[in-house]
Amino acid sequence: MKNLSRRNFLRLSTNSLLALASALGIGGLIRYLSYQFDPAPSSEFDIGPASDYPLNSRTVIPHIPAIIVHDKKGLHALSLKCTHLGCTVEQRNFGFECPCHSSRYDMDGAVLKGPAAANLRQLRVTESEDGNLHVFTT
Amino acid sequence: MSLTSKHKRYFSRDYLLAISILTFLLIAGLLAPLRAQASHQVQSTVTPPAQPTPTFDPQRLEKPVIASDHSEQLKKGALIYWGVCMACHGDRGQGLSEEWRAAYGQDSDCWQSGCHGPDYPPESFLIPKDPVIPAVAGAGALARFRNAQEVHDFILADMPWWDPGQLTDEKAWQVTSYILSLRKVMPKAFELTDTNASAIRTQSAVPQPGDDHPAVLALTGILALAAIGMIAQDLQKNKLRLVERPNFFHHLHPPTIPALQARLRYTLGAGGLAVFLCLILLVTGILEMYYYIPTPEHAAVSVEVITSLVPFGALTRNLHFWSAQALMIVAGIHLLRVILTGAYARHRRLNYLIGLGMLLLVGLLDFTGYVLRWDEGIRWALVVGTNLLKTVPWIGDMLYRLTVGGPEPSLSSVERFYTWHIFVLTLLMIVLGAWHIFRVRRDGGVAVPPPAERKDNARLSRFDLVRREVLVMLLAGVVLLFVSAFFPAPIERPMTETMIDIENTRAPWFFLWVQQLLRFGDPFLWGVVLPIALLAGLAALPYLLPQASDHELGQWFPRGNRVAQILMIIITLILLILTIIFIIPTTQL
Ligand code: FES
Repeated sequence: MKNLSRRNFLRLSTNSLLALASALGIGGLIRYLSYQFDPAPSSEFDIGPASDYPLNSRTVIPHIPAIIVHDKKGLHALSLKCTHLGCTVEQRNFGFECPCHSSRYDMDGAVLKGPAAANLRQLRVTESEDGNLHVFTT
Repeated sequence: MSLTSKHKRYFSRDYLLAISILTFLLIAGLLAPLRAQASHQVQSTVTPPAQPTPTFDPQRLEKPVIASDHSEQLKKGALIYWGVCMACHGDRGQGLSEEWRAAYGQDSDCWQSGCHGPDYPPESFLIPKDPVIPAVAGAGALARFRNAQEVHDFILADMPWWDPGQLTDEKAWQVTSYILSLRKVMPKAFELTDTNASAIRTQSAVPQPGDDHPAVLALTGILALAAIGMIAQDLQKNKLRLVERPNFFHHLHPPTIPALQARLRYTLGAGGLAVFLCLILLVTGILEMYYYIPTPEHAAVSVEVITSLVPFGALTRNLHFWSAQALMIVAGIHLLRVILTGAYARHRRLNYLIGLGMLLLVGLLDFTGYVLRWDEGIRWALVVGTNLLKTVPWIGDMLYRLTVGGPEPSLSSVERFYTWHIFVLTLLMIVLGAWHIFRVRRDGGVAVPPPAERKDNARLSRFDLVRREVLVMLLAGVVLLFVSAFFPAPIERPMTETMIDIENTRAPWFFLWVQQLLRFGDPFLWGVVLPIALLAGLAALPYLLPQASDHELGQWFPRGNRVAQILMIIITLILLILTIIFIIPTTQL
């Protein structure tokens, strides 16, 4: 530290102040650009009365997107959003296939073939007071 | 032949005159369709309704006759309407009005008649009374639909009343076309498709679109002739060498350059061509901004308006599209050339890095521009491209929010992609581009051996250089115009809330290799790390691998940087193979 001349010291401090200022500026820019004015997408969907989904039916609700399965085990909802990068999967005779990078899932949404690593998500379904079913995506 | 200064002036005056006449003809040619358009008002396809006749005229039940200058689609629609829709919606689209019911004589109380009364016969059906069957033409009709696309979708799904869904997609378009002509909002000879129907409103007419083709072809031809003229001049034995004073464009160039630097088989003209394409992109892009509306609701519709209604709109958009595709290819070729000739050596390293940055920008510009269509075709590329950002550890969510501007693609996202595309990325491109060109000059022009080691020490004057540039621009312009005249840029129907059917899950062609990589597994590794590593690897080439020495420059495949060349060829092949694997349909199961 002894050989840090006054000139060098001044230069060092000016430069670090400028660096600090740019860091602050970038931080501000990131916060500015991260503001989200749009409302969060809805996570609850009213899909009508349970009677629309009789035993042994599989009904696709495209705007969630999900499939409502009613079998011996009861009524449950499976998300159709591919767990790889979010494309909507299509129905096949073995289950589901994603058109984007061809991940495959079986009828219950378990991965048969990658690149997807996780199974299709099970979505929560509840029956509301008016008898309609509600599907929750979160 | 020697020219005194006086002659020279005469000469250039003739020249100027010729140019002005050409320009005038050109402008007149381009404006001609405009005049034609002004005289073409939207015309009704049926005879205007006469004063209500007290007694019903049975003639009105006859087959409609449609003027021959209407589209086949509309003519077919008129017949379907006549056979299927007219009974309820009226011969003039007036709906089941009192006046129309008079046509049915004693059965005119439809809700009590034998056909549609409470005890209708088995082949018949009940029709609604409240509301009464609506008009499809006349004031206020079709108010619930904004455009032809929505009318079509409704007809396809819900009409005819007794057998909804009976019409095919094609027939639904035909009926839509006829109904909108009853409303007098349908331009003549206009074929509705799901990529232009959103541009046809139900509540107000659009000006009749003209036919741009003749003007575009004329322009192409004139430019081609000009190019031939230039070549002919160069071939002349006794060249008229004018003692010109350098103008602004000459001054952008050094007074002379070594002839070695201007050999087409060495440079492939890729750098210069890229500059030209950028200029076209800039101009056509600005023109598109006059009509493009960056909101989810209007984006795709405004693209349809540009493409199918605005005079020379399709040309503008096609030029923008094809220049962008060409720029991607030309930039790739430029990079290949620079590596395979070892031109990035030593002090040119920095410019090589700037060039790589520009290649990245071209990719980003292409992607954001592609997304701005906001139609069904870009949905999955958008979802996948942006979700890839989320896979980055730690900062993924932040990156996603910075890019997309919300928790999912929405209003803010179009606005953001618009800003990225037309401003931020373009500005960066201009800055880097200017820097790149500046560095080319600072580094002594295109890489050639030092003067002492050149085989050929001839020099090329800036006049000849500019002439060549103009010639290449003319030729490239002709090709671009020709391609744009015959091959339309892709467009699909506007994006809807819920997807209809998944048809196009392809990334833009230059990212297909990434899409193939993504099939291999972990998205972060294959879709983010690997492409970045590739770019970083390219950037490191001049720093890690042996370079070509000075006397080897200015030719293909110098010995000095063989390793880098081989590496580059391997990379190119891998990218090509990945793309091809992706395109070949998977046959298994
Ligand atoms: S998004 Fe489904 S496999 Fe990639």
